[in-house]
Amino acid sequence: MKYVLAFFAAFLAAVLAASVMPHVHVLGVTPDLVLILAACWAMVRGHQEAMVVVPMAAIVRDLTTSDPVGTSVLALAPIVLLAFAVRELRPVESEFLPALLVVAATSLAYSIISMTVLTVVGDDVPWGRALLLVTLPLMLVNPLFAVLVYPPIRWLSRRPRRESFGVGSAVQL
Amino acid sequence: MRLLPWTLSVLALSVFSILLSERGTLAPLQNVSLTITAPLTAGLQDLGDPTADFLEGVFDRGDIARENERLREELEHLQGEVAAGEDAQRRVRELEEALGVKDTRPEDEFVVADVIAEDPSELKRALAINLGSGDGLDEGMVVLSKGGSLVGTISRVYDDFAWIRLVTDPNSAVNAVVLTGDQEEEASGARGVAAGELRSDLTLEMLAPDAAIEEGDLVTTSGLGGNYPRGLLLGTIASVEERPQATFTSARVEPAADLPKLETVLIIANFLPARLAGP
Repeated sequence: MKYVLAFFAAFLAAVLAASVMPHVHVLGVTPDLVLILAACWAMVRGHQEAMVVVPMAAIVRDLTTSDPVGTSVLALAPIVLLAFAVRELRPVESEFLPALLVVAATSLAYSIISMTVLTVVGDDVPWGRALLLVTLPLMLVNPLFAVLVYPPIRWLSRRPRRESFGVGSAVQL
Repeated sequence: MRLLPWTLSVLALSVFSILLSERGTLAPLQNVSLTITAPLTAGLQDLGDPTADFLEGVFDRGDIARENERLREELEHLQGEVAAGEDAQRRVRELEEALGVKDTRPEDEFVVADVIAEDPSELKRALAINLGSGDGLDEGMVVLSKGGSLVGTISRVYDDFAWIRLVTDPNSAVNAVVLTGDQEEEASGARGVAAGELRSDLTLEMLAPDAAIEEGDLVTTSGLGGNYPRGLLLGTIASVEERPQATFTSARVEPAADLPKLETVLIIANFLPARLAGP
């Protein structure tokens, strides 16, 4: 069920990215909903689940862009590794701030990897300008929008707390 | 699942699928995907336009924006007529000069397509349309706006859909000529290459340093290279970069077509770019 939900969330994000989001410009760039969703999912649900959800979201994204299929799969893969590393390290008590950090870091990784793929397949990528005018703003804008995406995922992944009394509950705790 | 095997698998699978995609093997899959998402994106775009109007301003700002868009289309159409007229005059003179040379370009035939999606990549400027190879489209075909100005070329084509690379895409380069008001200059016209840029409209590069161009001059395709018909309106000169020591002059060009708001485009069906036309 969780993967079906993740698929529909990724599908919705990809459709929004191709329809409504191009009208949204912050610092001259459009937030990448699929990346934000995948990164937040990985941070909330852990790397085991992210190993399935991130490639799934990436394929959905690839199929709705003009990029070669596989570009986003490759470019979003660092989310899983970063989410694993950050969750293991737990640099701060908060789970939210590291999630924003992962979104920012994966924005950088995504840009570099996708630019590399486009260069390899023969596109003329203006690396300097792209890093300055696209990647850097995205590293700020994507975490900004992650503030909106993270809480619903966190809320959805909450497990109902078991309310019980007596000796058994003490053992459970 | 271990991280290392997963990483290696993802790496191998994505590289493999990129290779397949570049060979066109995955085109049917992308065609199916666009078939599924097209109605949704079109619906959301319809919903998104009023929302965008609302976000842009308050109350009647949307009406002003639509009126502005209509006037812009009208202006674009008139500019196109002016450009076509000026180019036709120049062509007549050239044909008169080069006695016997005949214009073999036939009357343009158009195929009308609707824009169904926009490439979300920040590194590209591309639009998806609802026609594909099944409708006779091919890569490299030239796409115009309703007003007749150049929008771009078809960069990827599937059975039922195609992607258009806009003239503002960093990979786009169009041989262009500036139509100045001066009669003498008009005869030759300052030639350059209109290239797409990230985060800006178009840059007209490779202009001769002594090119007499100024703001408001019309820029059209020159036809050099054979990838575009000549005389298609690209836009107007917005500013000229003054660099005294530079080998070439450059200028910023504002596209005539309202590229972010395109809903319908025209594909020239009977003009084949040099690459497709063959020897």
